[in-house]
Amino acid sequence: MKSLFGLLIPLCAVLLALVMGAVMLFTLGADPLSGYATMFGAAFGSIEGFSETAVKSIPLLLVGVGICIAFRANVINIGGEGQMVMGALLATTVALLFPGVPSLVLIPMVLLAGAVGGAFWGAIAGALKAWFNVSEILSTIMLNIVAVQFMNFLLRGILIDPAEVARGTGIPQTMRLSPNADLPILIEGMRMHLGVVIALLVAVGAYMLLWRTSMGFRLRAVGYNPDAARYAGISVPKNVTAALAFSGAMAGIAGAILVFGSESHRMVTDGGSTGFTGSAGFNGIVVALLAGLHPIWSIPSALLFGGMLVGANALQRVAQVPSALIIALNGLIVVFVVSSEYFKKRYMESGRVDVESDAEETEEVKNG
Amino acid sequence: MKSMTQHVVAGLVCLACLAAFSLSAVAGDKLKVGFVYVSPVGDAGWTYQHDQGRQIMEKNLAGQVETKFIESVPEGAEAERVIRDLAKSGYDLIFTTSFGYMNPTLKVAKMFPGKYFEHSTGYKTAKNLGTYMCRYYEGRYLAGIVAGKMTKSNTLGYVAAFPIPEVIRGINAYTLGAKSVNPDIKVKVIWVNSWFDPGKEREAAEALITQGADVITHHTDSTAPVLTAEEKGVYAIAYHSDMSKYGPKAQLTAVTHNYGDIYTKIAKSVLDKSWKSEAIWNGIKEGAIKLEGMNAAVPGDVVALVEKTRKGIAEGSIHPFQGPVKDQSGKVVVAAGKSMSDKELLGMNYYVEGVQGNIPK
Amino acid sequence: MDLSLVLHIMVAAVAAGTPFVFAALGELVTEKSGVLNLGVEGMMLVGAITGFIAMAKSGSLLLAVVSGMAAGAAMAAVFGVLTLTLMANQVASGLALTIFGMGLSAFLGLDYTSFALPGVAELHLPLLSDLPVIGPLLFSYDVLVYSSVVLFVAVSWFLYKTRAGLLLRGIGEAPESAHALGYNVIGIRYLAVLFGGAMAGLGGVYLSVAYTPVWVEGMVAGRGWVSLALVVFATWRPLRVMAGAYLFGGITIAQFHVQGFGIEIPSQLLSMLPYIATIIVLVVISRDQQTIRLNSPASLGKTYHPENQ
Repeated sequence: MKSLFGLLIPLCAVLLALVMGAVMLFTLGADPLSGYATMFGAAFGSIEGFSETAVKSIPLLLVGVGICIAFRANVINIGGEGQMVMGALLATTVALLFPGVPSLVLIPMVLLAGAVGGAFWGAIAGALKAWFNVSEILSTIMLNIVAVQFMNFLLRGILIDPAEVARGTGIPQTMRLSPNADLPILIEGMRMHLGVVIALLVAVGAYMLLWRTSMGFRLRAVGYNPDAARYAGISVPKNVTAALAFSGAMAGIAGAILVFGSESHRMVTDGGSTGFTGSAGFNGIVVALLAGLHPIWSIPSALLFGGMLVGANALQRVAQVPSALIIALNGLIVVFVVSSEYFKKRYMESGRVDVESDAEETEEVKNG
Repeated sequence: MKSMTQHVVAGLVCLACLAAFSLSAVAGDKLKVGFVYVSPVGDAGWTYQHDQGRQIMEKNLAGQVETKFIESVPEGAEAERVIRDLAKSGYDLIFTTSFGYMNPTLKVAKMFPGKYFEHSTGYKTAKNLGTYMCRYYEGRYLAGIVAGKMTKSNTLGYVAAFPIPEVIRGINAYTLGAKSVNPDIKVKVIWVNSWFDPGKEREAAEALITQGADVITHHTDSTAPVLTAEEKGVYAIAYHSDMSKYGPKAQLTAVTHNYGDIYTKIAKSVLDKSWKSEAIWNGIKEGAIKLEGMNAAVPGDVVALVEKTRKGIAEGSIHPFQGPVKDQSGKVVVAAGKSMSDKELLGMNYYVEGVQGNIPK
Repeated sequence: MDLSLVLHIMVAAVAAGTPFVFAALGELVTEKSGVLNLGVEGMMLVGAITGFIAMAKSGSLLLAVVSGMAAGAAMAAVFGVLTLTLMANQVASGLALTIFGMGLSAFLGLDYTSFALPGVAELHLPLLSDLPVIGPLLFSYDVLVYSSVVLFVAVSWFLYKTRAGLLLRGIGEAPESAHALGYNVIGIRYLAVLFGGAMAGLGGVYLSVAYTPVWVEGMVAGRGWVSLALVVFATWRPLRVMAGAYLFGGITIAQFHVQGFGIEIPSQLLSMLPYIATIIVLVVISRDQQTIRLNSPASLGKTYHPENQ
């Protein structure tokens, strides 16, 4: 009963959003049914399509899982974009420094570097919040912009491909990174690579962290009631910083996977953040909210949004429907998911559900 | 719960079949040409010019081709999927129109040896992948002549996106053009670190005007610099598209690139099976670069001089980077009597004499 | 640097700061009532495109302003329903509003991408505009810039000189007491949220219709978030919001001038400058928890359930 209900509400929210999306499709002169058929057909209708969807979902899932951790600790991390960039930069640097290390060692090394880079960027905002009382919502936003300019600075400076300098073309990109760091392809001829497995493992790991370790307990305690946590001897500043560091680490891994799982195997900038991240730093928040801030539920949630993004291109090709529709649809889904909290609460208050056992599932973001 | 999942799966499978059917139903015997754009088509700018080219090609080859474009495709992994999608769904000739599509295009080209790919502004070719771009700098040189003649403060302002050779080449050609008619010219450059950000472009243009520039040009994608010039009562030289409707008084002229002929030629060569992989670099001679929207305020003798220079460039008697060309430090980079080679042009990473400031690293 | 250059930078800073004045003043009123709306960026975007379309279709600035404000308010109404009626979490709802606004504005603006408008002419006031120094500094703007100043005066007067303003602040401090005194807390908060939305919409209209004036997807480019930061920066005082907005505008403009003079700092580092400066200012302001606690509305961001009281 409990799990069915937990599933039904986000499902309704998605369906409602899709109905609204159908209206928008209709106003654009496209047939909504065949439009959706095209979209979901391209994303889930073939193994190849699913492989694309899975790849697209990796950064969404990782950032989303990080958001779950942060929001559970009552920390609002909007800095996924910047944390992805910083993770990717550090991972790239490590790959450039140690190109000869065998794959078995180098791949964990670059992923770890990604985690460290992202964690560092997240921890800055965490420390500012913990010890200087600076709203992490604002600092993470500002740090996003700083990170992107830092990326432009490095990729035009010390990290640039020497061949670009020699040829004089000066494209801001690194050299082809060591093939030892390439994430192995899982199915021959498709793009699905090891990153999918890593993302799934991280999601499970995050679940374990939150509910099976004392660290996770402290994070949730701080999020649930900081005063009570303090009274129980839990350091609020330390845990706030830790929550943002964990959250940043997940985004940093996502950034690293974007570099080492890409087809060019190098880091490139087009000057903005979306060119590199594809807005996964923001869309990950949507993924986490739809998943009810649960790392495991984030998996289907990320697949849904990843699939919609993949399907959007097919929709454009077949029906010449612009991709902006999909962004609007994402937004609608979150709006409906957020509003569904109310009905969930009402339902629980009516006493038909064991509130206590359900509390963990539905515990919402605490106020900032 | 289980039955529900089964329903969902069954539904998805149905949808997939539908999609597959609708895809196979559209194949005809026309040549299907796909275009991948980096931004929305809009009303002016880089992608707009490419789309104009697409439409001209469609008109020239009416009945023989069928075109479709996908806009706002981010560079990188996303691009590979879109390009492959097009190749898979029956498009035999695919144009990718942004530098960042180079590696994805190359990769997809290798996967579909029977299809033809053309990538704009790149430097990698393959058996079934050619490249094409325009000699923008030739138009810049002509525009420089107009600016050099029209400025009163002898200060020209340049709103630039990123310090890469393509942009630097334009700045230098513009400066050389202006200096050819007005040796006292100074060119001030502001980098906005963005291809498309009207707010920043406006602020940069305003800063340049404040610092004494009375002709503004831009190597960015929006109309904001021209609009700002119009508002502040100074002149502007537009880039990519004719923007005279945004700056009827301000726009002296516009340096435009035109792809209609290139696209028509390439599509034709695919149709009559004569296509081969080349690196096309067309300029004024081929009509790929034009000056459009010349302001009535530009005196007749200046227009005549521009026309004379244009002819010279088209015939090959004039080269914008004709020696002696000195860099900022006064070092001669092209000796007198020589002109710069294409290889040197492509790798340009210094300012010529007359440009102020240094190239940011 | 000579005087005229400083003057030019100041004039440009006012124009660059004006969208922040609108959006941050609106958010200030919303927050004073105890509601934290993080959706400013989304409301600005929807306001920007709606105003842009109205201007493009009708050519009337008034219509553009009205429809942009209405669109911003409509977005805020969605937020109001979520947080005030359905009592959803304010932070999550605000984020949802921003994401929705990004998509919706991109969708609405499809046919207008990189379209440009003629812009809004500067208001030339006889005599005043021709004064040396003071003329350009104070009397060389378009009508929207002046209305931002009028709105600033109105908001300050309303908050600190009227009974209604006192009530609004009271509700932000202690909604329970206001409720006990018989005031309709939810209703008044709705009004504050709608006002905030309309002001954010107006900030968007200023950007798309007067400042650039071009429509480009995502053109608000983080200004909504900066507006939120400015409210904290200003410790919830209207005058400081104004000053902060112009200061931020000034830093943005100054970095381009630094480049124009050929001063050797990598331009990417200069582009970071306004944001690093904001973080530093936030640290300085927020470090003193006393000031923050004294100035921020006590119930800010907390969901209020009238029936539970």
